[in-house]
Amino acid sequence: MSDHIDGPRSIGDPSIDMTDLFTFISPENPSRTVFAADVFPSAGSSAVFTDAANHAIVARRVTVAGLGDAAKFQAGDREIRFNFRFDKLEAQPGQKPLQRGTCTLPDGQTLRFVVNDEKGATTPDGTFRVFAGLRSDPFLLAWLGASLKPFRNLLEHDNVLCFLVDFDTKRVLDPAQGSLFGVIAETTPAPQPGAFVGHPPPRFDWVGRPEQTNVRLNNPGVKGDDVRDLWNQQTPFAIAPEYAPIFRKRLVDSLHDYDMRDGKEDWSPAQIAASANVFLDDFELIDVAKPTTDTSYLEIEKSTLNGRPYQTGGGRTLNAHDIDILFTWIVNRDREPMVGGATQATQLGRNTFPYLAPPNTELQTVAESIVVGAPADKVWALIGPFGAMWHPLIAEIRLTGAGEGQLRTVETIDGKVIIERMDATDNARRQYRYSGITGMGASNYTGILEVAQKGGESSVTWRVQYLSDGQPTIIIRTIVATLQKVGLESLKKRFG
Amino acid sequence: MMQTADLGIERMTATAGDIAAINLESARQRSWSRFWRAPEQAGIAEGIVEQEQLTAQFMGDLSAFDRLEMLVTELARAEPESGRASLIAAQVACSTHRFAEARESLGLAVARGVTPDAADRLSLTIDQATGVNLSDVLAARRQRAGRPGHWEERVPLGALLADLGEFDGADRAYVEALRTYPDVSPFAPAWACFQLGVLWGECIPAPQPERAAQWYRTAIEYLPGYVKARVHLAEIYLDQGRTEDARTLLVPALESGDPEVSWRLADLAEAAGDRGESAVHLAAARSGFEALLARHPLAFADHGAEFYLGSGDDPARAFELAQMNVANRPTRRALEQAHAAALAAGEADAADTLRVDAGERWGNAVPLPVTTD
Repeated sequence: MSDHIDGPRSIGDPSIDMTDLFTFISPENPSRTVFAADVFPSAGSSAVFTDAANHAIVARRVTVAGLGDAAKFQAGDREIRFNFRFDKLEAQPGQKPLQRGTCTLPDGQTLRFVVNDEKGATTPDGTFRVFAGLRSDPFLLAWLGASLKPFRNLLEHDNVLCFLVDFDTKRVLDPAQGSLFGVIAETTPAPQPGAFVGHPPPRFDWVGRPEQTNVRLNNPGVKGDDVRDLWNQQTPFAIAPEYAPIFRKRLVDSLHDYDMRDGKEDWSPAQIAASANVFLDDFELIDVAKPTTDTSYLEIEKSTLNGRPYQTGGGRTLNAHDIDILFTWIVNRDREPMVGGATQATQLGRNTFPYLAPPNTELQTVAESIVVGAPADKVWALIGPFGAMWHPLIAEIRLTGAGEGQLRTVETIDGKVIIERMDATDNARRQYRYSGITGMGASNYTGILEVAQKGGESSVTWRVQYLSDGQPTIIIRTIVATLQKVGLESLKKRFG
Repeated sequence: MMQTADLGIERMTATAGDIAAINLESARQRSWSRFWRAPEQAGIAEGIVEQEQLTAQFMGDLSAFDRLEMLVTELARAEPESGRASLIAAQVACSTHRFAEARESLGLAVARGVTPDAADRLSLTIDQATGVNLSDVLAARRQRAGRPGHWEERVPLGALLADLGEFDGADRAYVEALRTYPDVSPFAPAWACFQLGVLWGECIPAPQPERAAQWYRTAIEYLPGYVKARVHLAEIYLDQGRTEDARTLLVPALESGDPEVSWRLADLAEAAGDRGESAVHLAAARSGFEALLARHPLAFADHGAEFYLGSGDDPARAFELAQMNVANRPTRRALEQAHAAALAAGEADAADTLRVDAGERWGNAVPLPVTTD
């Protein structure tokens, strides 16, 4: 899954776990380039950046140093680095805490920004614009990796923490000196004042091309130790010579295994070795003088391995089906397209800043039902009135108004106060619908209580839906589930 | 505030505790959401186990154990024959001290093909918690802790050495865990610091409360919401007569719902001569413990016994719970507690039996007093 949770170490703090890197020409202004990176796979709605790590996107100029089986992309020494640091949280009365950050740009100037501010922050001359915050995960994972079977998008509704920079291509990259760049993103330890970094790794995690760790280095079809943490600790653009043979061998074995997944050999040993060498130099390639499209990902590598000049800007757009592109290449060498089980990520990337779609929200459902040994009318007579005192966890109910729109203020036995509004009642169907006003830490909170005749007995169903807002979903779920369970069980005791 | 440097090592860089707590909650919330959509998807249930355990251990949210039970039920429904479902059932049973059930589920998990490393790790945890095969457990713990990059194995090694009365070795294991910690999550270093507090404040024969307090303070520096560290530090402050400092620690922890917080607030009110407030907190603590004991009796038997031996003032209930705990895991501390509870409850014969049992199992490591009538 791209680079999502790609090693045992990253389970420690998910906010240092690099998930993805996207590099593309801005769809709203072709004279600008966008580098976007994500951390924190499957982040919940309240996720924030760690204050203890540097988050960086780094580019180096690259030249094509060999074609065909001698394919080689040589990275230069000069780094163009965008470094993001995030502050501690600032308390805001009655609101979620605020987080600010600082981006240090390649020329040394710094740009302050507020996390989750969609407008981002821009340098006075407009050269740089940055954003950081929670967004919908643009990555599409529609394959079961082990079996290589198309599947629904496993990351549906997921969010990530994104940091991105949008900049004037000519001013920043000077493409006249060479327009091909290799790009990586990384998280590294950031010493805090007064604190000591004991034995930290030089970096926590980094990402170049998608799927280096979870597909190519951790192919379930290839036996061997998990080398992903070791890989994550390598220096981008400079894999340690003593470890390079380990990674090269793993890549060769892995690529050979993928080649044979369809039972046909599309790659010769020399071609697999060349491909492994290209993947060992793990950076995303983008030619900023050419257009990037949703299908141009890996075109630079593929053309070079095929011994001919590349045609596109390569890169990786937000809506690229990069796993389809990768599997088609490594399994059958573009003989026939391999298509995953979903057509797009939860939300498509946008054409305007900050490009990644807003975070996803999900309607939660908690439902409980019980069968009791009494006629439905008798049960409804007890629980149907909006102000009825039948629930053992409720100490008091006060009603305000009447009919639809009527409010009930419920005080639970542990002192919690909940205010709900009657939306509709249907005595013929023995059902009423209500909305939560306050007290549950949720928005769009609606409930339905219903009694249905079931032979000589009756079935009571209580269903609640909500969007969490201020309280974690699971806490609301637990509260609601407890209310439902205890309430319905009390009916069982009463009616048998 | 005392810095870790005063204790011989420096405070390490770590994510701010409030950020880490928010992100734990965020990840946990999202994991459940993903689980309800696809319970069979590998990795999600495993993540929930880790996140819920962290939530219980550090945030004091003990309803995490109820949610873990729900996870096991749902997973068993989704894939009844899978090794991972059995392994998770074993992990959850272990975390609520249902060790016999944990062993049974672990056996099933192994038969269904879970990796030996995952099974061995849990098996060691169960053996250590129940005081079984401790020399083998110690050898395995030392071997695992010696592997490069496995800093996380050093904390359970320290806990085992403390159980065995090797206090200097335990101290070294915990400090080494801190020194070699390679991550920025504050949970693990806070845990090691807390264990050091317990070691110096409770495990050693002549406790050093100020040294323990320094470690608890460091744990709280890493993780301000660390409920157990707050409770333990508050206990020391109470003993030292620093009631306002104790109150400052306890009041923010009250919302966690952990009954130990109410218990210590009751002690605090008692010390201040406020019988009324003390009674209110004691009632909350008693009802909190009983609610936990009703749902997870083995997990909270020792905590409940401790409460009823202390301010809960019900030696008979304490003895009942301590006996339950000893039957489940006859460790050194469990036997010590049961012996004390038997004496408090006036069960002299039972106390003698426990003393003999302790001597047979632990030799001189448990110098329980002979009953005198």
